[in-house]
Amino acid sequence: MSSSPGSDRPAPDAFPQPIAPTAVGRRRGPALRLARRLLWPGGVTAIAALVIPLALWWGLSAFVMHLRHVAFPTPYETILRLMELVRGRLLNDATVYRHVADSLQRWALGFALAVGAGVSSGLLLGWSRLLERLSMPTVTVLQLVPGLAWIPVAILLFGIGERATVFMIAVTALAPIVINTTAGVKGVDELFIRAARMMGADDRTLFARVLLPGSLPHLLSGLRVGFANGWRVLVAGEMIVGTGTGLGYSIIQSRWTLDYAGAFVCIAIICAIGLLVERGILLPLERRTVERWGLARTG
Amino acid sequence: MIELDQVSKTFSNEETGHLVQALQGVDLTVGENEFVCLLGPSGCGKSTLLNLVAGFERPTAGRLLFEGRPVRAAGPDRGVVFQDPTLFPWLTVAQNVDFGLRNLGLEAAVRKETVRHFVSLVGLSDFARARPHQLSGGMKQRVQLARVLALNPRALLMDEPFGALDAQTRDRLQDQLLDIWESHRTTVLFVTHNVEEAVYLADRVAVLAPAPDGIIADVPISIPRPRDRYSEEIREATMALIGVLADLPCCVLPSRRAGDTPSRAPVTTKPG
Repeated sequence: MSSSPGSDRPAPDAFPQPIAPTAVGRRRGPALRLARRLLWPGGVTAIAALVIPLALWWGLSAFVMHLRHVAFPTPYETILRLMELVRGRLLNDATVYRHVADSLQRWALGFALAVGAGVSSGLLLGWSRLLERLSMPTVTVLQLVPGLAWIPVAILLFGIGERATVFMIAVTALAPIVINTTAGVKGVDELFIRAARMMGADDRTLFARVLLPGSLPHLLSGLRVGFANGWRVLVAGEMIVGTGTGLGYSIIQSRWTLDYAGAFVCIAIICAIGLLVERGILLPLERRTVERWGLARTG
Repeated sequence: MIELDQVSKTFSNEETGHLVQALQGVDLTVGENEFVCLLGPSGCGKSTLLNLVAGFERPTAGRLLFEGRPVRAAGPDRGVVFQDPTLFPWLTVAQNVDFGLRNLGLEAAVRKETVRHFVSLVGLSDFARARPHQLSGGMKQRVQLARVLALNPRALLMDEPFGALDAQTRDRLQDQLLDIWESHRTTVLFVTHNVEEAVYLADRVAVLAPAPDGIIADVPISIPRPRDRYSEEIREATMALIGVLADLPCCVLPSRRAGDTPSRAPVTTKPG
């Protein structure tokens, strides 16, 4: 979600807003004033943020082609390939829609498992000092394991196939969700717990109506990190899928088919979907929760 | 109603291993429907005493009875109004008042009517759908009062509920509290360090001194209600109580290592 100046909802503070010249502003140096004038229309910054990386990409591909004489796809070629694929041309014997849908499905299943397991264990770890001391070292280690390192574990546990991929997504998304939920529960003010008990809350009510909402800002941060981890490990996960579809699978296959433009399209789609979920769903959700409850972000 | 018999409470600091004697050998009795103010300097254990009665903490020694039964845990029969507003920020005013009613397992229609009654009782009908962060400090305290009154508690335990408010709001809320108390009679144990507040509100003022002294004065305030906070009687009673308080050491918490013999000499001074 980009904050185009023309959109009807107030733009989030992603880009500097026009600042009225104030006494404080005038006292600042001329360099700063110049910088501010250059940055002034938020749209210019937004366009620059898009154009500069594209230009760098273009330069890089020209450079590589000149130096190594290999066809490094340019942004233009990538977009052409994207158009073809969008129109239904097959990539590795399947449409790009099929690849996207299969990847999303695997990711959704893995992420759902991670959320279920991560939130419930995070609530418990946040509640019980003993459980936290027993389990947190393991969770911390889990977080340090690189995504690719799970491949042998996944194969040993589930063999080659869908379940191994889903496992990899789930296991990489799990740790940040557990860690953040635990921190969130521990951060819930003791007075809230006392007040709830005073009003007759039993353990279930306490978890569902106090600890869970109380830890929500942290929990949502955990979901964002967990989502990103799971989505990134998709490529590695689909390396071991036997079915032959998926964005990650297509990227790996480009080694044999030499369809590098197609691979670049898949990379771009992975980035775009990631950005869309992160900026379009998770971040606004987090902001809205925090703002609506008048909570200041802590930690 | 509320009976404390030689109640002591010792906290141990987890890091240093120091023991802090917050209360020692405190005796106090609060009768049915009585309005008792617990008055004392900061750090003398007033809040600790209230937390014991509420069931948030357990006494280390002595006997603590509520309606003849030992206090084991917190419960809706003892409605606590905290100094810091502890309304749940993720719930609206009405939902906050509804929180305890839901735990009682009442029908939705009954709950809705009860919520409406108590939100309007504290004059916040227009804010039923607001969230706590949109309310002023005084309004938050009124919601806190509404949410415990809705549970029809046998006693109200109030821990400096108006301590953080400006003088004008505090006066208004004191009057509102007395009005509500006249119509919904319950036992009130009200902690404060404000002498005028204690005299204006209470049937009886118990003065708590830092451990090991306990309750050093128990003064009935027999001024007829409704009271005029600027009257001569209130002023006299206030001056008399200030005299009692003047003899107390201020802001002192005796703290000693485990095993040391108790001594009157303050070892550490705690702020606030």
